[in-house]
Amino acid sequence: MTVFILRRLLSIMVTFFIVSVLIFVMMHAIKGGPFDAGDMPMPPAVRDRIMAKYGLDQPIYVQYLKYMWGVLRLDFGVPFQSPGETVLELIGRAWVPSLVLGGLGVLIGAPLGILLGMAAALRRNTWVDYLASAVATLGLTIPVFVTSMLLILVFAVWLAWLPASGWGEPKKWILPIIAYATIPMATYARYTRSAMLDTLNKPFVTVLRAKGLSERRILFQHVLRNSSIPMVTVFLPMFIGTATGSIFVEAMFRVPGLGAYFVSSIRTRDYPLEMALMLMLTVMFCLAYLLSDILYAWLNPRIRVGGRKG
Amino acid sequence: MTEAPALELRGLTKTYRLREGGALRPTHTALHAVRDVSLTLPRNAILGLVGESGSGKTTTGMIALRLTEPTAGQIIVGGTDITHLGHGALKPFRRRMQVVFQDSYSALDPMFTLAQIVAEPLHIHGLGSPREQTQQALDWLERVGLHRSYGGRYPHELSGGQRQRVAIARALILRPDVLVADEPTSALDVSVKAQIINLLQDLQAEMGLSILFISHDLSVVRSLTDRVAVMFNGRVVEEAPTEAIFTDARHPYTRALLDAIPALHPRDRRVRTFASRDALEAATPRMAARDLGLAPSDVARLVDLGQGHRVEALLTS
Amino acid sequence: MTVTSATPTPTPTPTYRQRGPLWFAWRRFVANKGAVVAGAVLAVIMVMAIIAPFITKAGPNAQDFLTDSLAAPSATYWFGVDDLGRDFFTRIIYGARVSLTIGFAAATFSVLIGIPLGALAGYYEGWVDWVIMRVIEIFSVVPPLLAAMLLGALTRGGFLTIVVISALFGWVQVCLLVRAQIKAFKEKEFVRAAQALGASPGYVIRRHLIPNSISPIIVGFVLAIPLAMMLEASLSFLGIGVPPPTPSWGQMINTGMSFMYFYWHMAVFPTAALAITVLATTLFGDGLRDALDPTMKGR
Repeated sequence: MTVFILRRLLSIMVTFFIVSVLIFVMMHAIKGGPFDAGDMPMPPAVRDRIMAKYGLDQPIYVQYLKYMWGVLRLDFGVPFQSPGETVLELIGRAWVPSLVLGGLGVLIGAPLGILLGMAAALRRNTWVDYLASAVATLGLTIPVFVTSMLLILVFAVWLAWLPASGWGEPKKWILPIIAYATIPMATYARYTRSAMLDTLNKPFVTVLRAKGLSERRILFQHVLRNSSIPMVTVFLPMFIGTATGSIFVEAMFRVPGLGAYFVSSIRTRDYPLEMALMLMLTVMFCLAYLLSDILYAWLNPRIRVGGRKG
Repeated sequence: MTEAPALELRGLTKTYRLREGGALRPTHTALHAVRDVSLTLPRNAILGLVGESGSGKTTTGMIALRLTEPTAGQIIVGGTDITHLGHGALKPFRRRMQVVFQDSYSALDPMFTLAQIVAEPLHIHGLGSPREQTQQALDWLERVGLHRSYGGRYPHELSGGQRQRVAIARALILRPDVLVADEPTSALDVSVKAQIINLLQDLQAEMGLSILFISHDLSVVRSLTDRVAVMFNGRVVEEAPTEAIFTDARHPYTRALLDAIPALHPRDRRVRTFASRDALEAATPRMAARDLGLAPSDVARLVDLGQGHRVEALLTS
Repeated sequence: MTVTSATPTPTPTPTYRQRGPLWFAWRRFVANKGAVVAGAVLAVIMVMAIIAPFITKAGPNAQDFLTDSLAAPSATYWFGVDDLGRDFFTRIIYGARVSLTIGFAAATFSVLIGIPLGALAGYYEGWVDWVIMRVIEIFSVVPPLLAAMLLGALTRGGFLTIVVISALFGWVQVCLLVRAQIKAFKEKEFVRAAQALGASPGYVIRRHLIPNSISPIIVGFVLAIPLAMMLEASLSFLGIGVPPPTPSWGQMINTGMSFMYFYWHMAVFPTAALAITVLATTLFGDGLRDALDPTMKGR
């Protein structure tokens, strides 16, 4: 088991390293040098000195190493669009809305999805099943910004029940949270339904019924546990993906979260911020996948206990 | 003056290294699938290779075809050592050795028509124009007992026995010297088994083919083969002309195998089984070295008892 | 051994051809009503996109109706008029062209990249497989949208760039599907038989393994289309996709948001168009997958 973890860790680190290099190089490809010609022509000597001051005259791998060294000390530099704070501070500030809305979205959507999936599996091929499956499919295939748009159109424009944008008060949170909740809900509904159907058809369930266990006990103690492994492992990447703020939801509902800053950082060529966001997200996804791989291997008794090959 | 045998295997060994468990100190075990196996397949003869599952007989066959690489040993085809030949140099030899597998369904590409399947060997070796290749393929379909019109059909439309016929046609279209038949009848119904065996016999006689017939079905082996080699646990434990094996088996394992054949008459049962594999190992016959004019040895080796009969035995002093 | 008679009697020809796996797949597909409807909708959308010039009044960029700007849908203007005086119905239909073209083109590239890589990884295994899996991991770990945005900013949008970017994130799925299929088929006896005949690995992969991987390839292709369409719409929505004035639903949704409160048609139609097209393609793809290989369900 430890070998497994170490190996996964190693490969994730390799991946992360490669990704960070790629991102760094790409960003510097856009750069073109902030002090070339342009508005204020400078005598070459002055320009060279300024470049040296910012370390921009160094070969790219040196710049990369310096940057990564800073990263390890959690120093991401200062964002161009808001020089009064460090990148880290800005991210810390901007993350709150994303975390609240996205996190709540997942935490509400996932259990709902599970219930929906269970209902569908238990009432297979009835209208409950069809409805649940339709909702799940729609949730997954319709892009999230379309869903957001629909929510705004129906609830804010047409019915005018809820405000469409902003971040301040909880009332403004409702629509974005619903938008965030659709994907987790749909994903879990699907997973739960198919996992439960698989398990319910297995012979051991028939045996349990023959033994006389109540339907409810069979369901919660045995069936759910058996179906839950893939669902648990998919939770972590999903949470990370949502809690870091969907660009679209934030754009549509005008929420000043990470997603919004990401878009603006690309638009304004705010390299320190952009780089930091990309790296952070990549690291978090790497960790999320690593942890869920480990979790899966641990939970799956077949892998944990090992077994002789037949 | 004897010409070179069609196929000769010398000292073939195949060892798989397995890593097992443990974090930083994994244990390596070695699985000896085939251990120092030597066999000779003369021209125009059928050699049966029998044993239970896991005895290494299939692996031996695969090594002979170089579909699996041996850890040690040599494969000699018609006098030439092909053990270490590269892909290009090996190709002409591939024409001389072909194979028929047990599972006829997965032995035929489901996307190919029968004509394409049988013509494929010609295609791979670039023999003849496409039209000629198709003609030959159809000829061969007839030769194995299927109507020419089957050429346009697909494997899933045939029965197991028919598919096996197609596999045989594909194997023989290049007129190889050696055919390795790995349990070709094991998956077939009894009546169909007989048909396929007859087909193989007829073709063998017509073409002067040498067949390495791998099987665990002793009754089939008895009716088809000239010689039989018995394998156990990766080694050849006995080798003799067919009738000698069945009437005068010397190794206890061979006898155990024979005893396991369901007898035709209920009262004909001779029960002699071995409680465990160790017991079997322990039952390796011991022979006095001096009687045979050989040196004593701690390790069991094949001893020639004359008249082409060899048994694995321990030579005691 | 006894010498037997010359040729054994050939078995008589049966009177009917048996049904192949393709027939069963068709039956399964047809039984899936959602997929059939989706397929029909998709066909309609595609036809409309193709005959666009024949069913619309003017070109998509023609600002012919400035005096009627922002008019609501009516008999003359089926979908209304947009803020720059263009007939909205026309814009939407031409937007379908953009989305579908990008979707199909990107899916094609995804398949072109995914098949060889999947074949190599599946056939050779070992370190080749390891390297390819690492590459896949790199592409999976970076959120595709963000990376696409970065790349888009780098290259300043443009049609071909979008196609390439979408292909870059779509090939992974195809590669994984092909790899799994080839791994499964590699051990089959017909492959060994071909090897025993002296076929080279290239021949085996080309003539045996890949033709037998047709169903995952088709499924991968069809499912890559909505992915690409979504990516394009997202990028256009953010302003770094297809540049105006070429109509793109994503871009139109973005514009529509500003006008949403008073001119609902600006937002509703592109949204609905995108949603319906993506939905139809996905359902059709799912239906294909379930029909071609029922064991692949849920992956």
